[in-house]
Amino acid sequence: MSKEPTRRDVLGHAARGAGLVTLGGAAAYLAAKRGRADAWQIDWSKCVNSRLGATGVPACDKCATTCVLPLSAVRAVNEYAKCGRCYICPAYFDVTSPVDKDGLPSKKLCPRDAITRRPIGEIDPHDPANNYYEYLIDEARCNGCGKCVMACKEPAGLGSIRLEVRHDLCLDCNRCPIAVACPDDAYIRVPTGTAPFAREHA
Amino acid sequence: MPEQRNLNLTGGHWGSSSKPGTTRFVTLVWLGLAGWPGDLLADYKRPVDAAPSPKDIGGGYVTPQVQRPLPRSVWWRTADVVLLGAAMGIGAWIVLRRRNRNALIVLTVGCLVYFGFHRKGCICPVGSIQNVAVALTDSNYAVGYVVVATFFLPLVMALLFGRVFCGGVCPLGGIQDLVLLRPVQVPRRLDKMLGLLRYVYLLAAIGLAVQPAVDRDFIICRFDPFVGFFRRTGTAEMLLTGGGILVAAMFVGRLYCRYLCPYGAVLSVLSRWAWKSVSITPSDELDCGLCHEACPYGAIENMRAVRSSCLCCARCFRYCPVHRTEGSGIHRDKRDAPSERGAPP
Amino acid sequence: MPYRQIQTIGGRGSSPDRFTEALRGIDVDRGGCLYAVGDSELKVFGPDGVLQRRWITEKPGWSVCVTSGTDPVIYVGQEGQVQQFDVGGRCRSTLKDDARLGLVTSVDVFGEFLLFGDVAHRCIHRYDRSGRFVNDIGRDSKAKGFLIPNGHLDFRVDDRGIIHVPNPGRHRIERYTPDGRLQGHIGRFSGTDPAGFSGCCNPTNLALWGQGNLVVTEKAPPRVKVFDTGGNLRSAFGTEAFDPNGKNMDVAVSARGAIYVVDTVRLQVCVFAAVDAPG
Repeated sequence: MSKEPTRRDVLGHAARGAGLVTLGGAAAYLAAKRGRADAWQIDWSKCVNSRLGATGVPACDKCATTCVLPLSAVRAVNEYAKCGRCYICPAYFDVTSPVDKDGLPSKKLCPRDAITRRPIGEIDPHDPANNYYEYLIDEARCNGCGKCVMACKEPAGLGSIRLEVRHDLCLDCNRCPIAVACPDDAYIRVPTGTAPFAREHA
Repeated sequence: MPEQRNLNLTGGHWGSSSKPGTTRFVTLVWLGLAGWPGDLLADYKRPVDAAPSPKDIGGGYVTPQVQRPLPRSVWWRTADVVLLGAAMGIGAWIVLRRRNRNALIVLTVGCLVYFGFHRKGCICPVGSIQNVAVALTDSNYAVGYVVVATFFLPLVMALLFGRVFCGGVCPLGGIQDLVLLRPVQVPRRLDKMLGLLRYVYLLAAIGLAVQPAVDRDFIICRFDPFVGFFRRTGTAEMLLTGGGILVAAMFVGRLYCRYLCPYGAVLSVLSRWAWKSVSITPSDELDCGLCHEACPYGAIENMRAVRSSCLCCARCFRYCPVHRTEGSGIHRDKRDAPSERGAPP
Repeated sequence: MPYRQIQTIGGRGSSPDRFTEALRGIDVDRGGCLYAVGDSELKVFGPDGVLQRRWITEKPGWSVCVTSGTDPVIYVGQEGQVQQFDVGGRCRSTLKDDARLGLVTSVDVFGEFLLFGDVAHRCIHRYDRSGRFVNDIGRDSKAKGFLIPNGHLDFRVDDRGIIHVPNPGRHRIERYTPDGRLQGHIGRFSGTDPAGFSGCCNPTNLALWGQGNLVVTEKAPPRVKVFDTGGNLRSAFGTEAFDPNGKNMDVAVSARGAIYVVDTVRLQVCVFAAVDAPG
């Protein structure tokens, strides 16, 4: 092979150099263009499961069914500071089911049994209703189907349960099928680190 | 990309909605004219502090914190990028220096398992075309370092060493490469014409990605044929399409890569000026043409690897007699089958 | 006993006879005039539903009570205080008790005593007419008060001095003596039986009528229920008349048995009468 650079070689070097410079420049420009990283999140004021005013409709479960992951990255989250801690929680119990001998509804609402109910403090066994109860959602089981969210929504409940995207699970797809399927345009991009619930105006 | 949204609820005033389409505006105007009582959020007054406070509950009760797990640390994503670069470097060394198909198979399987099945194929350089295109055209949109690196590293490697990304690293190509059974040589003209589809797809992908946020569609992600396998779940259409392409790829080698991959279109343009590229023999060419039969991708013309179509799969080395010459100093495969048709596994 | 809606008073709007932000408490006097508080005003409507007069309250009113007698006094429960007006709208006095009075969501009078339902402390305070505190009612439970997730405590005193309080978290209506002893309760939770109370916290508001009949309102879905002294359900109605998001709908009963219910979303008062009742 000839060691002398031919014109073709020089052109090749020049093209390569120009290509590398262009790529490097574009990469530098894009990397320097500091935007906020953002992520998918659910706008609860638009989601039909939590927005006030939409009563009498069945819970929308698109967050659970359209996520690309086998177990959706959306979870129901109970904002404890706003939870009523009621003896009979409409999100835990299916309040339309018949009442058993203890005076509690016989069926639970969550199809995956992801909510646990715990009395706060000691209860009086003769008067268990005279107590506060804590409701915790097991995130390993919850699939974001939204039934508890709809049941807790005002006015039936206090609206402390919302659907949230879990960012340690979400793959951050460019084209999120949930965002496409959401009938209320409630699935939006927000800057990461945005607190999903700011203090509500009472 | 929409500007920062204020998620504070104060009487129903929000930042710009995500889809300010004309239909919505018309609906609002119509409702306004019809005397709609107004935003229901503003109507509904919640009682103040209705939920019991820890003071009401007493007994030392403390309201538990609501967990909000953070996304994967940026260090993990940086590690992915480092692995990508390292894998391409190793691939370049295997293909350009060692010329060893078996080693490349190991690399292919490793990258398929990690970038494909473990990372579920996301983020990938193919899809990152769209993100980079949006970042270049939309002033509100920015991509992080990780996406920038994922997009540009294989391009830089292409300028330097050819399409080593395609060779051993890309999981989409890897899955097709590994199922190749009995390659059919596609006639040259047909091959070239079908290859134009990549540029059409590329332009369509960029065109739809740079639309304003409301019309933006990331079609590369939408029509990724193999992501259903990587995620181990998907709609029937996705899995059937992916399966169909894989079945076709058993015979028409790397169907997606050669005729559909938009990133491959970019790589084939850039690799034309690669600094170092695949040379099938380490020394003199014998011009025997055995390699031509071996290449399942029709990338060998005039007894030389064509840089823009060579996918760096390292199959040609097995058929080159120079390699099998004793004392040539090149590490040889254990299996020599010069007269066998079909590609080695 | 079926009821039908005979009238609607008020509504949302900016004209004087309408409400702009809130309509929270009502009471009906012997003559059939409706007193309604919300925003920062008290409005008086005649039996025909026409606004008769209105005046400003110092803070937004949450509850109102009109005493009977020759010189009626109107008490308006607000945050941290209770204002006392005469029928002309002049404020006679303001009872403030910052340490003890939270948000007074219901007021009633029995003899020499004033009773204020305070949802911030989830109990009923008893004061005498001079403003001296006497005792609390409802504090003795393990939960240290009534279980009110909805933020509105309502009650009424009957003419024997027994205080009837809906305890929504316990799905029952409790009866207390004025010195705070629990006498009994009626009602239970039931998701399916209309005689029971469903949801997480029902009933929310209560009014007394006749000889011990109770009229309560519920939320989700909003409706009105009438119980007799034995706790038997006599009537349940009204779901279609209210906005489905209505909550804490205050209720009052006129001397003739017409039931006035607040629609807290539409800011209007719906009036119901028994189908076989005259007029």
